[in-house]
Amino acid sequence: MTHAGEDLLRGYAAGTVEVAEVWSVEAHLMACARCRSALSAHVDAGRLARSRSVLMVRAALGDGGRVRRLLCRCGVPDHLLRLLGATPSLRRSWLLSVLGVLSVVAAEAVAVRYGWVHASAAARPAGYRDAEVLAPFLLVAPLLVLAGVAAAFLPMFDPAFRLAVAAPFSGFTLLLVRSVCALAAALVPVVAATFLLPGPRWLPLALLLPSLALCALALAAATVLDPRAAAVTAGVLWAVPVLLLLETAHGPLPIVQAHAQFACLAVLCACAMVLLARRDRFEWGWAR
Amino acid sequence: MTLDGSTAAVRVDGLSRRYGATRALDGVDLRLERGITGLLGPNGAGKTTLLSILATVGEPDAGRVSVFGLDPRQAAQRVEIRRRLGYLPQELGYHRHFTVAAFLDYVAILKEITGRRRRAEEVARVLAAIGLETRARTRIRALSGGMRQRLGIAQALLGKPDLLVLDEPTAGLDPEQRLRFRELLSGLPGDPVIVLSTHQADDIAAICPHVVVLLQGRVQFTGTPADLAATAAGRVWAASERDDRAHLAWRGGDNRWRHVGDDPPAGADLVAPTVEDGYLLLSHAAGSR
Repeated sequence: MTHAGEDLLRGYAAGTVEVAEVWSVEAHLMACARCRSALSAHVDAGRLARSRSVLMVRAALGDGGRVRRLLCRCGVPDHLLRLLGATPSLRRSWLLSVLGVLSVVAAEAVAVRYGWVHASAAARPAGYRDAEVLAPFLLVAPLLVLAGVAAAFLPMFDPAFRLAVAAPFSGFTLLLVRSVCALAAALVPVVAATFLLPGPRWLPLALLLPSLALCALALAAATVLDPRAAAVTAGVLWAVPVLLLLETAHGPLPIVQAHAQFACLAVLCACAMVLLARRDRFEWGWAR
Repeated sequence: MTLDGSTAAVRVDGLSRRYGATRALDGVDLRLERGITGLLGPNGAGKTTLLSILATVGEPDAGRVSVFGLDPRQAAQRVEIRRRLGYLPQELGYHRHFTVAAFLDYVAILKEITGRRRRAEEVARVLAAIGLETRARTRIRALSGGMRQRLGIAQALLGKPDLLVLDEPTAGLDPEQRLRFRELLSGLPGDPVIVLSTHQADDIAAICPHVVVLLQGRVQFTGTPADLAATAAGRVWAASERDDRAHLAWRGGDNRWRHVGDDPPAGADLVAPTVEDGYLLLSHAAGSR
């Protein structure tokens, strides 16, 4: 057997030999204990330790589980998924809370609609009964979506906010990534819950635009106001009309009917333009 | 540190910042060179405000800052400063559900290190530097206060920054960790500009070639630790009895009273002043004005 020369082994250990030579050296090393032993003399202990540390870190970071693997396969960059891990409204506890609130509100609506419990407003005209039983859901569902988005962009919910500010990563990009994902994560259970509710068949779609408009309003307002005040203002601007409509003969359903949908579309477009024009306001820190 | 600041890596001119009626910074002028500068001052002296402005997180009411010739008021230049910055805030919050490795990975991404392999290398490097390799999988909520502080230092080192702004980095570290921290800072490659605030005068004396004493929002002293100690020359005595005329007096390990002040106690011996003595006298003088 011809053994590998010292120069070749040194080059192999340093990673400086050609690919074809690497293959032949590796094939030889598989079968030759003497050359394996000789190779160990050329290995840089520091480099080996660093490689081991990197491997340990990669093992500690893991691949993030099934959802993350799936999203990576769909082309979502791995580093964006790590950023989402720091979004409170994408955590299991938050999503379970959203599901809990939606379940209570939806169950209440179903129970009242089918007469399992007595509603105080049962004396109202029969034609508007669905609208009335939907009132708590119509009030709460978009606010839940708004809360999810607010938790994704309010500095008070990010304990490492100062690090994010002092880092070069764009604050606006971070905001968009987190907010869009929080919006999607909240909209899915909201829309799913509407399928269980009594009311018009178009209801699942009808909540999309108001929810989007509300979140866009909060984000656009945050370019002018304190972010907390912006989120609260948007919430109030939703809650007040719903509660006022509850006192009318038609109930709160008009808040998601055709005219309101056009109004929401207009708000959404206007807020998107404001957000785009004033996006530098989300580059926090000096000169905000 | 240079007096004219013509070649200073970081220049601060006339920096002022108010919080309501409180003046946190009052016309601060500073020149920082490569190497370690220690910022000494009591609570409320304006250290954290100054460091947060240097880290482009805070904003002054007046004054100018230049970091490596870059102006943080310009958006593009501010981002460039942040690319070269490592920052440890005084009260760093953590995503407590993250593991140590995941948190560092997260900060590495914020520092625009997006390649997966490069991030892992950087995380491994800073974990080794700070001695937390074996804690890579530990959740942050399970770390002790000292370990969290080391994690905070580790994240500041990500990306091999040219400017390290460390706000009380040794708070919560035990004596051995403090010594390791000193070793770490002294051995950082690339000769970065390091500015750290601390209450520990012995940290300053041990590792900082330059000292800045900040009192009531104003720079009261700039120089070397030896210069700061020299300001107390002839005003520090050791005596067997306490003398109430001293600004400050405490019983040392040798059971003798160490007096810092202008009036010598009876039968006292003059002793060599330390950085702490110089700082105490400066602080007393500023307080009595």
